[in-house]
Amino acid sequence: MKIKKIVIACLLLLGGVHISTAQDDLLDILNNEQEDATYVPPAFKMTRVAFGHSTEIRSKGVLELFTATRFWNFPGDRSQSFAADKMTTRIALEYGVSDRLSFGIGGTTFDGLFDSYLKYKLTSQEKGEKAAPFNITLLQAGSYNSSSGSVYSGLSGDFSDRLAFTSQVLVSRKMSSKFSLQLAPTFVHKPLGVSNQDNKNFFALGFGARYKLGPHLSIVSEYYRTFNPIESFDTYDPFAIGVNWELGDILIQLMLTNTRNMVEDTFITQTTNNFNFKDPNLHFGFNATYVFHLKNKLKK
Amino acid sequence: MNKSFLALLLILSFGITSNSEKVIARQGQVSFFSYTSVENIKAENNQVYSIINLQEGTIAVDMLMNAFVFEKALMREHFNESYIESDIYPKATFQGKIIDFDTNAQGTQIKMIKGAFKMHGVSKDIEIKTKIENNNGSYTLSGVFETFVKDYNINIPPLLAGNIAKSIAVNFKFEYQPYEN
Repeated sequence: MKIKKIVIACLLLLGGVHISTAQDDLLDILNNEQEDATYVPPAFKMTRVAFGHSTEIRSKGVLELFTATRFWNFPGDRSQSFAADKMTTRIALEYGVSDRLSFGIGGTTFDGLFDSYLKYKLTSQEKGEKAAPFNITLLQAGSYNSSSGSVYSGLSGDFSDRLAFTSQVLVSRKMSSKFSLQLAPTFVHKPLGVSNQDNKNFFALGFGARYKLGPHLSIVSEYYRTFNPIESFDTYDPFAIGVNWELGDILIQLMLTNTRNMVEDTFITQTTNNFNFKDPNLHFGFNATYVFHLKNKLKK
Repeated sequence: MNKSFLALLLILSFGITSNSEKVIARQGQVSFFSYTSVENIKAENNQVYSIINLQEGTIAVDMLMNAFVFEKALMREHFNESYIESDIYPKATFQGKIIDFDTNAQGTQIKMIKGAFKMHGVSKDIEIKTKIENNNGSYTLSGVFETFVKDYNINIPPLLAGNIAKSIAVNFKFEYQPYEN
């Protein structure tokens, strides 16, 4: 009898356990049915890290109005300028032709550069064994220098001499939920026309990083190493450190940098100031993006 | 007497779980709306999984947060990265019980579901009124409920406080099919 009682008690207990775990079983079943979450948020939210491109592109039907401004002062204690001595602005439009391809055009006030580019997203980073571990985006950009006689002078009237081309392979990875890293091997073809000894083809490697401080705030830094800079005048590698503020349809970047140029071929080959906090080397930069959605993603 | 009692217990304790009949929905629809004077936000997810244990009236729901599609593409990025943090909390789940669920009743019945909704790492007990339609053993569940953003530790920056409603209306509709293991 005793044994029977124990058996009954055990069975009752077992039954109880079965019933109490039944709910967990349901979620377990769904967990097995549901595909694993492979989604990784984009490594960068803006299409720029600071001055250079990021792997991020705009989705289909999205038009981005991008303005970038740099301010700097002349050396000297006294200046009667309002706020800053000099400034340059680049205004650009970027449009997502598809979810992978976007197209942009822009113009810069200070160096009279008109630029255009195509950006194609090859892979997106995902979780999982067979998923791509990196975001890879290809960039092909071209620019036309419209300035009559610039600080770099030497520009001939030939149309082809005023053209420059940049090809980039942008590779980025979200290392953790907060930290993203980007490498950008870059090839630039740019005839500067200052000296015949100067090379026209340049190789550079870009480094970019983003660290999320909070849901809407992140810090970014970017650096380009140019391997074969020109010899007729001194150039330095462009560097920037900045803060991103990412809110709704407006994305804002504030940065400190040593380059006043905003198109790849110029900031890689023609940054004439090193990064320090003295005028005129220190540039305050401001990028603002406003995004227009021209296509409703929901099926009506 | 004792033997038959034992047999009954055996059937009871094992029968309940092994023979239990389940129905599953693999393309359930969940959408949510935020209405403010500044902006209306709508998002849809058509790949939500749900399962019901008909004997016990228990129900579970499992959804991937990144499967929500928004009117605006950039909103989806913000939603996943800045609000719901779907790389850390990829899923929202619900498990609960349909109170007084009559599996045999044909036609429409309105019932309450009590259970725990887990999203953004926060689990909260909620009660949802649901309309159950039984058409010869094929069940459809639908309903609407309100949920508060701040209950789930989701921060809305003060500048956007006017754009995102404090209370979000969630719509759901699941069509179930028999589930075979």
